[in-house]
Amino acid sequence: MLLEAIDIEKTFGRTRALAGASFDLRKGEIHALLGANGAGKSTLSKVISGHLRPDAGDLFYKGEPLNLRSTRDALAAGIAIVMQETTLAADLSVLENIFLPELGKSGFLSRSRMRKRAAAILDDLGQADVLSLDTEVSKLSAAQRQLVEIAKALALDAELIIFDEPTASLSAGEVERLFDVMARMKESGRALIFVSHRLEEVLAITDRVTVMREGATVASGRETASLTQAEIIRLMVGREIGAIYREAERGEDKDGAPVVFEVKNIAAPPAVRDVSFAVRKGEILGLGGLVGAGRSETAEAIFGMRPRTGGEMWLGGKTVDFRRPAQAVRAGVGFVPEDRRVQNIVPDLSVKENLLLAHLGAHRGFGLGYKARQKKVDELLKLLDLPGHRLFDASMLNFSGGMQQKIIIARWLLLEPKVLILDEPTKGVDIGTRQAIYELLQKIAADGVAVVVISSDFEELLGLSTRIVVISDGRSIADIESSALDEEKLTLLAAPRTSMRKNTELLGTLAKDCGGAGFWALIDDDDLICLNSVVAAPEASPGFSAGNAVDFDESAIPKGLAGRGQDFVTEEDGSRSTLIVPIRSHRGHDFGWVGLTVPGKADGLSAEAIRKQIETLNA
Amino acid sequence: MLDQAKTTRGTEDTAKTSASGQGFDAVSMAKRIFTRLEFRMLALALLIAVVLSFASPYFLTRTNIFNILDQSVVIGLVSIGMTFVILTGGIDLSVGSVAGLTGIVLGLALQDYSIPVSIGIAVLAGAGIGLVSGILVAYFGLAAFVVTLGIMAIGRSLAYILSGQTAISGIPSSLSEIVYTSILGIPANVFFLGVMYLLAWLYLTYTKGGRTIYAIGSNKEAARAAGLNVLFYSVLPYVVSGAFAAVAITFSIAQILSADPLAGNLMELDAIAAVVIGGASLYGGRGSIIGTLIGVLIMVMIRNGLNLMGVSPFWQGSAIGTIIILALLIERLVSTRTSQ
Repeated sequence: MLLEAIDIEKTFGRTRALAGASFDLRKGEIHALLGANGAGKSTLSKVISGHLRPDAGDLFYKGEPLNLRSTRDALAAGIAIVMQETTLAADLSVLENIFLPELGKSGFLSRSRMRKRAAAILDDLGQADVLSLDTEVSKLSAAQRQLVEIAKALALDAELIIFDEPTASLSAGEVERLFDVMARMKESGRALIFVSHRLEEVLAITDRVTVMREGATVASGRETASLTQAEIIRLMVGREIGAIYREAERGEDKDGAPVVFEVKNIAAPPAVRDVSFAVRKGEILGLGGLVGAGRSETAEAIFGMRPRTGGEMWLGGKTVDFRRPAQAVRAGVGFVPEDRRVQNIVPDLSVKENLLLAHLGAHRGFGLGYKARQKKVDELLKLLDLPGHRLFDASMLNFSGGMQQKIIIARWLLLEPKVLILDEPTKGVDIGTRQAIYELLQKIAADGVAVVVISSDFEELLGLSTRIVVISDGRSIADIESSALDEEKLTLLAAPRTSMRKNTELLGTLAKDCGGAGFWALIDDDDLICLNSVVAAPEASPGFSAGNAVDFDESAIPKGLAGRGQDFVTEEDGSRSTLIVPIRSHRGHDFGWVGLTVPGKADGLSAEAIRKQIETLNA
Repeated sequence: MLDQAKTTRGTEDTAKTSASGQGFDAVSMAKRIFTRLEFRMLALALLIAVVLSFASPYFLTRTNIFNILDQSVVIGLVSIGMTFVILTGGIDLSVGSVAGLTGIVLGLALQDYSIPVSIGIAVLAGAGIGLVSGILVAYFGLAAFVVTLGIMAIGRSLAYILSGQTAISGIPSSLSEIVYTSILGIPANVFFLGVMYLLAWLYLTYTKGGRTIYAIGSNKEAARAAGLNVLFYSVLPYVVSGAFAAVAITFSIAQILSADPLAGNLMELDAIAAVVIGGASLYGGRGSIIGTLIGVLIMVMIRNGLNLMGVSPFWQGSAIGTIIILALLIERLVSTRTSQ
C-alpha cells in the first residue's frame, strides 16, 4: 500500500466538499477516481497533493502518517499533480515551465541537462517535433499547454502522480500517447491516480476504480475489469439514470423553420479564426469541440465581449454588429457565460437584483423599472420551480450550483430573447437539476427561441441538440446532424489541427504522388463523415471534404466506399478508382479509414505499397 | 490578500442570508439589524458620543452639536463623491487637491462674475477634472490609484500657479450666506448636506445608475455581460467626486472668505477613512451612503472631542489613526464571529 486516505473531511464555508472520503493506492497501479461534477474528486486530489489541508481524517504514505503543510512537502515526498486548470507561467518558455518546480530547490541548475531531459519527456509524449522547448507558453494552444503541464509532472520523477482530467483538451491521438506513457510509468512501479469523467478512458487504462458521490466514497478500489460502464454510472449517480439524456427527446428537424441568427467567418484572434453557423427558430444548435478550441471565445466575440477583427452577423435577416454586450442584449440576444462566479453572479446584489440584472442592462429609463417585469418574474419562478421568498436573500453565493444556474438562465428568459447562447449550462450542476435545465431548454426552443449550447460533455451535446457545429483551433470545421454522430465520431472530428499534421502530410504525399485525392473519414454502413482531405487533382475529388457528412450515394465514389477491399475499386462510369485502408491504434482504437482516390483506373499503382505507406500511421 | 477579503465577504453573505431566510421573529430581526454593518457603526458612533460626553461636559451641548454638524459639511460632501468612486472599486486620491484648485478657480471667477456663475464654473472645473480621471481609469484601464495620484500632484501645482502662491482674499462677503442663512431652523450648509445625502441615497438605491455602480464594483465582468453600461457608470463616479470636491471647498471658502491654494490638503485621507469606517469595501460593490454619513460623524466627533479635551493637535493624528484601525479591526473580528 503506497497511500491511504481515511475519512477525509473538508468544508468550504457551508459547502461540505469532502465528507468521509477514503482512498487507497497500491504501487504500480493506475487507479481511477470517478464521480459526477462536484463529487469531490478534485478536492481529494488537492488534499493528497498538499494544495489543501483536510479538516479531519488521516493520510498514510508508505505506512507513515503524512502531514502535508504545502505542495512543497508533497513534492519532497514524491507526490505530484497534473491540475485541471493549467498552472503554467505564461511568459516563460516551455523548458522553464517544465522545470518550474526545480527552481524552488536550492543548488545550481544545469541548463543543458534540463534541455536533454525535457526533450526526452516531450518525445515520450509524441511532441518532440511539434513543441519547441523555447516557445513561450502564452503562444501555445490549450492542448499543448495541457501537454506541457503533464511534462512538468513527469519531469519531477514522482512516485505518485495524480492526473486530474488531463484529457479534456487533448485529441484522441494525444490521449493514446499519454496512455502509453502512463502504462510505462506503471510498469516502472509508480502509482498513478487518474481523474476523468470519460468512462471509456477509465475502462481502457485503469486497474482499479474508486467512485465518489457528494464528498464521500461510495465504491472503494473495485477492480476495473469487474465493472461495466452502466454499473459505474449507477455508482456515480446513485440511481438508475441511464435515460437522462434520452428522456430529453432530441428536438425534431427544423429544416423548414426560418434562420433567426447567422454568423459568418467570425474572427477574434488568437482564439477565434473563422467560425460560421446558422441557427433556426425553435432549434437547439450545439457548438462542440475540445476544451480550448475557441467555442467560448466565439460566443464572447459574437456578444461583443471580445473585439472582433472580422465576420458578419445577421439577426432576423438584418445585419447586426455588436460591439458591446449592451447592443446584443437590446437586440434580443442572451448569453450565459461559462464561469458562473466570475462572469454571471454579482455577489453583493440580492438574488432579485441578480435575476433582474439583464433587465437593467436592457432598460432605458432612469429608474429601475422592476415593477413592469413583476408578472414575468412570477411566471418564471413558477416555471423554474424556484421558491419566491428566496428572491430576497442577500446573496446568491450559498445557493446550490443548480439553483444559481436556473436564476442566471431566468435572467435572460425575462427579456424574452430571440437567441439564447449558453456556455456549459450544466457545469457544476447536480444531476437532478441538469434534467430540469434540459427540459427548460427544450421548452424555450419549442416556444420559438433559437438556442445555441456550448458543451464539452459530448453525450449532453448529442442528446440535446438537433445539429452540431464542430469547432477546432478556432475554426468551424463541420456542421452535422446529431443523428449522424456519436461520441467517438465527435471526439475524432474535434481533434485539433496540430494533432492532424502527420495525417495531413501523409494525405498530401499520397495525393501528390498518385495524382489524386486523399481523405480520412469515419465510415459506417452507407454513410461517412470526412475528417480531413487533400485534393491534388480536382478530377479525382471524392465529392466531399473535411467536415462533411454524406451518404455513399451522395459522394462521387459510392462503389469505392462500399468496396473496402484489398485493392482499388473502380466506379461504374470508370471515372475514379478508390483504395481505402482502416486505421487502428496499437491499442485497438478505431481511428476510421484513410482513402486514396485517383482519376480513371489506377493503372500502374501498387495497392500493396500504398497500403503499407498508410499503415505507417498506425504506429 | 484579495482572496482573503473575498472569502470573508462570502461568509458574511452566508450570515445575512441565514438571518433573512426564516421569517421575521424578533430574534432574527435583531440579528438581521446587527449583521448590517451600518447599524454596528451607528452603535459605535453612539458609544463614542457617550464616552466623549462623559469626558467633556461641553460635548453634548446644543452649540457643540451644531458645531460638529457644521464641521461635517466639507468632509461630508467630499465623502459622497468618494463613496461613489469606492463603490465601483476605484479610489480618488485627488479630491483634496481638486478642492484646492477649484477653490482658487472660484476665487478668481468671483473677481469677474456673479456668485452663482462663479460657483457653477468651479463645480464644472471639478467635474471636468473628474471626467479626465474617470476616462483614464475606465476607458484606458489605468490603475485608479496611480491616475488620481498624478491628478493630485497636477491639481495642487496648478492651484499654486493660478493663485500666484498666495491666498486669494476679497471674496464677496455675501457668499457666506450659503452657510449662515438658516432653513427651517437649520444652518443652510447643514441642510444642504442633508439634502445631498438624501439624493445620493435615493440615486444609489432606486435608479438604474445607482445599482449599476454597485454591480460594477461587485463583479464588473458580470455587469458587462448583462449589458450594463459599464464604461459610463465607471466614469460617472469620478465626475461626481470632482464636482463634490468643488462644492465642498465652496462652503469652506464661504466661511473664511479666502481661497488658499493649500486648502483641502490631506482631505482625501479623511474622506477615504470616513467611507471605510462607514462599511464600504475598498474592493467595491459593498458599502452605503448612510454608512458614509456615520463614518463622517465618527471622524468629526473624535476630532471635536479631542479638541474639547485639550489634546494637542500633534497627538490627534495618532489618536484618530488608532481609532480608525481599531474600529475596522473590531468590525472584522465581529463580522467573522457572527457569520459562524
